[in-house]
Amino acid sequence: MTRILKGLLLPVLVLLVWELSARSGALKAESLSFPTAILLAAAAVVADGSLFKAALETFTGAVGGLAVGASAGILIGVAFGLSRRLSQLMRVTTESLRPIPSVALIPLALLIHGYGFQMESSVVAFSCFWPLLIITEGAVRGIEPRLIEVARVLNFNLVQRVTKIVLPAALPRIFVGLRLAAAVSLVVAVTVEITANPIGLGYALIVAQESMRPDKVFAFIGWIGLIGWSLNASLLRVQLKWFGRMGNWAEHTS
Amino acid sequence: MTQPSASPILSVQNLDFTVGDLNILRDISLSVQEKEFVCIVGASGCGKTTLLRMMGGLLTPTAGCALYRGQTITGPQPELAVVFQDYGRALLPWRTVAGNVELALEARRIPKNERADIIQDMLSRVGLAERADAYPMQLSGGMQQRLQIARCMAQAPQVLLMDEPFGALDAMTRQTLQDEVARLCSEAGVTVVFITHDLEEAIYLGDRVISMDKHPGRLSETLDIELERPRNQLTTREDARFLAYRHRLFNLLPPGH
Repeated sequence: MTRILKGLLLPVLVLLVWELSARSGALKAESLSFPTAILLAAAAVVADGSLFKAALETFTGAVGGLAVGASAGILIGVAFGLSRRLSQLMRVTTESLRPIPSVALIPLALLIHGYGFQMESSVVAFSCFWPLLIITEGAVRGIEPRLIEVARVLNFNLVQRVTKIVLPAALPRIFVGLRLAAAVSLVVAVTVEITANPIGLGYALIVAQESMRPDKVFAFIGWIGLIGWSLNASLLRVQLKWFGRMGNWAEHTS
Repeated sequence: MTQPSASPILSVQNLDFTVGDLNILRDISLSVQEKEFVCIVGASGCGKTTLLRMMGGLLTPTAGCALYRGQTITGPQPELAVVFQDYGRALLPWRTVAGNVELALEARRIPKNERADIIQDMLSRVGLAERADAYPMQLSGGMQQRLQIARCMAQAPQVLLMDEPFGALDAMTRQTLQDEVARLCSEAGVTVVFITHDLEEAIYLGDRVISMDKHPGRLSETLDIELERPRNQLTTREDARFLAYRHRLFNLLPPGH
């Protein structure tokens, strides 16, 4: 408890100095606002429903893109992991597409989809695809060879082999990739909204900035941080729930 | 030697295995009769595991062949169950004890509502009925190997191919498991090929013991073990015939080689 209190000492001190200097006029309140005003703005966007609406839009774009990109990445990652030949055959293609920064695709996505969720999700999907492809391929290749032999001895076909042995064995590591991609998805979704798409939290930030409302800008940044944190925390919970009981196996492989 | 007139359940004919320039197995022929318990002993590196993997269809010989009921073995088949030495790696860590046995039943396409009884039966045969909901990582080494054997038996095999199954276990556990496996296999009427480097284990378990030489791996001698069953860890091992077999094999396979 005392450790938490000690840890809070610095932030509280900073906030206090910030508040006082802004109120006394030493700091330019019109560009940096001050803590109490930010807190009020954060409460106001909750009260008028604009936070909820914007958060839902961003969440839809991020999770939609994550779902599409991650499933494609896992699927192709399993195929590459099982067939070294296929992976080598596709290497030039994957290695030339992978370095493209996902935000560079925003203009292209705009041309194809116009404004809206589809365009945002497609950019998010592209950025979530790669970490899962690479992690899944590595996870599948790293599966205990003895387990593959067990599948062979039991005469499993390809589908059974993948669903009963390969995916469960690779799942702890795939899940780590999913947590990485979830963080990426939020970053990319907000970036797309800030740069192009007139929806969600990113756009709300831009509107607040253009209407010279630093308190609102800070309020939205705070909310975005909180959403990112809770997304990761809930995935971590699922991870512990799923893999916690199997002893130290899941921890070793992840 | 067993008489060639009775058609063997498993046989190996003029089998050769070469990797690059290295001749690992040379001209191996043997046959195993139904319900027979055959032990193959040899020093480490003599290729006995390789030979077993070919009988299980996990490896393809360079020349010659392995046959199951007269048919060439081209790949793994459910009638031939393989018990691996490294039990810890052969179990699915994300499945419970019961779930690991169920895997073999899924492979046999046994309907879901019939599985629970079979699982319970298999687990009680190896003394794991109480641990059905545990995960493999929570079991001792001996229990993990029992679980692997239960899974292999749930496969309803005709032949059990065991690759040094007790090599990594302590002496006490090993003796208990030897008796359990002998009982289990004779109850189920299953044929066993048992690989080991422990001469006494081979004599204690086998109806027949085949010794192997190395560089290249080849069969050297066959010993028919005429000791009554069920065998007893104390009296069988003190039997004069047991000691004579041991003497014989010891001279064929001196330790430290």
